Amino acid sequence: MIEIVQKGKSRPEMVINMGPQHPSTHGVLRLEVTLDGELVTHVRPHIGYLHRCFEKYGESVGDYGMVTPFTDRMDYVSAMNQEHGYVIAMERLLDIEVPERVEYIRVIMAELQRIASHLLAVGTFGLDLGAFTPFLYVFTEREKILDIFEKSSGARLLYNYMCIGGLMRDVDDDFKKDTEEFVRTFRPKITELQNLLTYNSIFIKRTAHIGVLPPKVALNYAASGPVLRGSGVKWDLRKNNPYSIYDRFDFDIPVGEGEVGTLGDCWDRYIVRVLEMEESCKIIEQALEAMPDEGDVQQNVPKRVRTKPGEIYARTETPRGELGYYIISDTSAKPYRIKARAPSFVNLSLLPAISRGSLMSDLVAIVGSIDIVLGEVDR
Amino acid sequence: MADLTQNLDKPVRNALTENHENERKLTILEKIYLPEIFKGLWYTLKQMFKPKVTMMYPEEKWDPPAIFRGRPVLVEDNGKERCVACGLCARACPPLAISMQAEETEDEKERYPAFFEINMLRCIYCGFCEEVCPEEAIVMSKDYDLVYHSRAEAIYGKDKLLVDKEDLKERLDFLKEYKNRQFGQFWKFRQDNNIHSVRDRDEEWDTGLSLVDLLESKKETD
Ligand code: SF4
Ligand code: SF4
Repeated sequence: MIEIVQKGKSRPEMVINMGPQHPSTHGVLRLEVTLDGELVTHVRPHIGYLHRCFEKYGESVGDYGMVTPFTDRMDYVSAMNQEHGYVIAMERLLDIEVPERVEYIRVIMAELQRIASHLLAVGTFGLDLGAFTPFLYVFTEREKILDIFEKSSGARLLYNYMCIGGLMRDVDDDFKKDTEEFVRTFRPKITELQNLLTYNSIFIKRTAHIGVLPPKVALNYAASGPVLRGSGVKWDLRKNNPYSIYDRFDFDIPVGEGEVGTLGDCWDRYIVRVLEMEESCKIIEQALEAMPDEGDVQQNVPKRVRTKPGEIYARTETPRGELGYYIISDTSAKPYRIKARAPSFVNLSLLPAISRGSLMSDLVAIVGSIDIVLGEVDR
Repeated sequence: MADLTQNLDKPVRNALTENHENERKLTILEKIYLPEIFKGLWYTLKQMFKPKVTMMYPEEKWDPPAIFRGRPVLVEDNGKERCVACGLCARACPPLAISMQAEETEDEKERYPAFFEINMLRCIYCGFCEEVCPEEAIVMSKDYDLVYHSRAEAIYGKDKLLVDKEDLKERLDFLKEYKNRQFGQFWKFRQDNNIHSVRDRDEEWDTGLSLVDLLESKKETD
């Protein structure tokens, strides 16, 4: 595992493999870290351990509708958002209008999923840095969201809930009540989390000034999501390029401000996620209010859809950033080509740039703060 | 970009130590670690007196609701599978987990699967097979803890897949309800529909009896 490299006259460098079994690499990521003493001189992420040929599989399954369960598995922490992106792309390609009610349910589901995903991100981030307590309590909250999902979709992690032109099935009768109840009880929990973690001086010491990502570099690397917003760039597709019905809601886009350290450090990326949960709560509340109570959730879209030849690129904002689906269709029943632009993949490519010069122990914080899901990186 | 690519050999410290202009200063209390630690401990202590949310899993089994999509099973109706080996489920299965071989039978339904296999290593529990099945012969059960010791063991044949319809009652009722909502109130799964034969179609089939009961009653009337 450890190898000492003598490079010319310079100081000996050590190469260490972090992962693929390392608990703080959030899955199966292998980092080849070159160290000079304790300072990281270079990091090379090795990916592909979780490659499941999503794109090729999408092209070979029977029809467009059968791709949806596979999109779930790309980013298994935010499956609803992945489905949302895919069905939006397909609906644009097919020129389908979906019913109001479906749009509202989709948005509520996507926002609940965003909260669940951020909870996981924040919890494991704290865990990586040694804060075990918040981790347990965010999981309790996440469980409540999964319960809501389960009641409506029948699964707890990989929902297969949205389909082209609608939803697989209508929401549970208690959906509205459950979600309202959840949002009500969840708000104080955010404060609790803030109390436990945000201004904890140990936590700040481990995250402030660490892994600084200047806004310009973030833009150069095409980062998106909380990683980009943590650097102070106000860019969120829900506002900047509204899809679905996001233009109807009133919410803010939290950005990092360098409150306890440098702008764009790990703490900023963390706080953006925490504040975003609050914004998601706002969206859910407004959506629940405006959601029509009755209505068909399935359009009369056949199971096997055929499209006219064409191509589409649709992008949506997932908890990790900008997810794009590029679909080319010929006249057959299955896609000619599907390409997914995965935000985690792009954000991971930042790692060498922002971790150079940091301490080995801070590398854990940096990896945690960019919140990758390896299923999405490798696809 | 430029400043990133130079100095590749020399380590640069990006863990800045000077204060940033916007930096919020920590208060004295925040600077001493102890209050924070006690805050965490106090929070944990408080939680000890709240209701427990953890389930002691292997001892205490979780009973999923009817909507839950566990492993797909074949419905056994009076000792026989309902399946007519039409192959729709195999066609709808995204990871190609299902395989079967149809064979003719003397039964009223005329066809049955000689073997029916689901490769549980491939199955992704999507529920498409249940959705397309015209016979309501394959449904998602509540089983979620599957164990196998080898790959060969993970390929479930009819012996493991067949589950009596009484044990699946909850799910079947759920499906009925769900399809009723979807297609209007007229939808009803008719067990006699399971008879695909065009032989003997001159009779009144909507008796609400299952296939075997129907044949029994027929025998009685004869
Ligand atoms: S769709 Fe139903 S009836 Fe047809 S082969 Fe599958 S289980 Fe049997
Ligand atoms: S649940 Fe999905 S993957 Fe599993 S057998 Fe049925 S169609 Fe195939």
